[in-house]
Amino acid sequence: MHERLSFHIKRDSAIHRLNPLTKLTLVLTLILLAFLTPWYWTPHILAVIFIPILSVIGKVAKEYFTTALKLILPAATFLFIMQAVFQPIGEEIIFHFYFLDVTQESLMFAFRNAMRIIVMVSAFTLFLLTTHPSELMSDLTRRGLPGQFAYVMISTLQILPQMQAKAQTIISAQRSRGLDTESTFLKRAGSIFPLVGPLVFGSLAEVEERAIAIEARGFTSKQVKTSFHEIPDSSNDKILRWSLLFLILVSIVLNLWHS
Amino acid sequence: MAFINLQNLTYKYPLTKTPALQNINLQIDKGEFISVIGANGAGKSTLCYALAGFVPHFFKGEISGEIEVDGIASSKSTLDEWVVNVGLAFQNPFNQISGAKYTVFEEIAFGLENIGVPREQMKSRVEEAMKLTGISNLADRSPYSLSGGQQQRVALTSILVMQPKLLVLDEPTSQMDPIGTREVFEVIHNLTQSGMTVVMVEHKVEWIAHFANRVIALKDGSIFMEGKPSDVLTSDLLIENGFGVSRYTSVAREAKKQGLWKKEKLPVTLFEAAEGFKE
Repeated sequence: MHERLSFHIKRDSAIHRLNPLTKLTLVLTLILLAFLTPWYWTPHILAVIFIPILSVIGKVAKEYFTTALKLILPAATFLFIMQAVFQPIGEEIIFHFYFLDVTQESLMFAFRNAMRIIVMVSAFTLFLLTTHPSELMSDLTRRGLPGQFAYVMISTLQILPQMQAKAQTIISAQRSRGLDTESTFLKRAGSIFPLVGPLVFGSLAEVEERAIAIEARGFTSKQVKTSFHEIPDSSNDKILRWSLLFLILVSIVLNLWHS
Repeated sequence: MAFINLQNLTYKYPLTKTPALQNINLQIDKGEFISVIGANGAGKSTLCYALAGFVPHFFKGEISGEIEVDGIASSKSTLDEWVVNVGLAFQNPFNQISGAKYTVFEEIAFGLENIGVPREQMKSRVEEAMKLTGISNLADRSPYSLSGGQQQRVALTSILVMQPKLLVLDEPTSQMDPIGTREVFEVIHNLTQSGMTVVMVEHKVEWIAHFANRVIALKDGSIFMEGKPSDVLTSDLLIENGFGVSRYTSVAREAKKQGLWKKEKLPVTLFEAAEGFKE
């Protein structure tokens, strides 16, 4: 039970070496481009060509495609079907199912939206695969994100698996005392409190100790925090970030122009 | 003037009726190794929290009297300033892991990052502290993947690395094996030799007898007895009031009743017991 709740895969690639903020800007740009460009095929190109290429550059192609096939594709397919069937637009009916009409327009619309979702989720997947959470937080803290906020984000990621392990211990402990967790629905529902109670109250009690522990290590110190890890932020990073922002601006202007 | 000075300290937690600490007067010199013993609820942890600034700054409640460390009164300081001089490690190691770090090395550096130690110094300080407590080999492990005893060492190291003037330890070896306990006591002993002051709550009386300069026995929030380990830990009064004593003391006490123990003074450690029975 020592797994971490992090997708990060430690490898050395051009994308891994980018500053976390640059990567975050890239993700944001991809998403905004997918939603803002007036050109119909933009999200498709991003989803099918551009992001997979990035995953190869980032040396995480295998992990990326596994996630894409298992998680992103089924979700996007579901969204596509729902939107294609329930979108009441268009004239030219392709087929007809009871009271539901599927038109060419609704198909096009649903297809693009599904692609947008794929861009959004897969861009984030790529980000998570190539960025260590503590690196991201140190970098954002250095740029002025409150330390408390960063702490909450990171410690949640670490503490959740621990809570899971503890829940498992409580379940075993209560079952060994004869708590029924496997029979009828009503009985199982009734056994929720003896399981959740100790977990919640136990965790609340722990919060105080943890607060003392981090306080004892100067967590609320008014000194400017330093960071052990040096997070690279090259001039290339800065150039890339500004170009991405420029790209976002262009797509916003184009979007307004066309509407 | 003493390095640590507690004057008529009385403290009551919020929402409780009886004070957790009553009229504590205690002076501790620089470099002393003080051991605190007492039953559950005797006020040991509260005393630790008081020295470490968490009483009253964190727990609130009613306080009267004075807590002074190195000439500064706790009441005139803030918690974040106080923790730089006074380090606290306590019993449950799991809750002392910050959760913000993915390796033991980073975990130990966490305190240094918080108080703004420059990066160049951080590495050498962390490495030095890990070497001291013998956990250099754990540097790249996840703090959550360690055993209880190892986590306790990490918790101790995380405080040591901040180089406090006063180190307050509340049962820091509770999950360690005998060898680990011995090593931790030796480390702490060496630190006091180089001028660090240590206050440690501990039940392992044989080790206290071996290393501590002074023992403080707490009962119901007050100091019940205070003095050299060899005097306090063998006192009849202590045994009659339900304090735990070393098994060697118990054996020799029984032997004395039957005329088998000839010496005036009872032993605490195995060595003392063996010497005594030889006579």
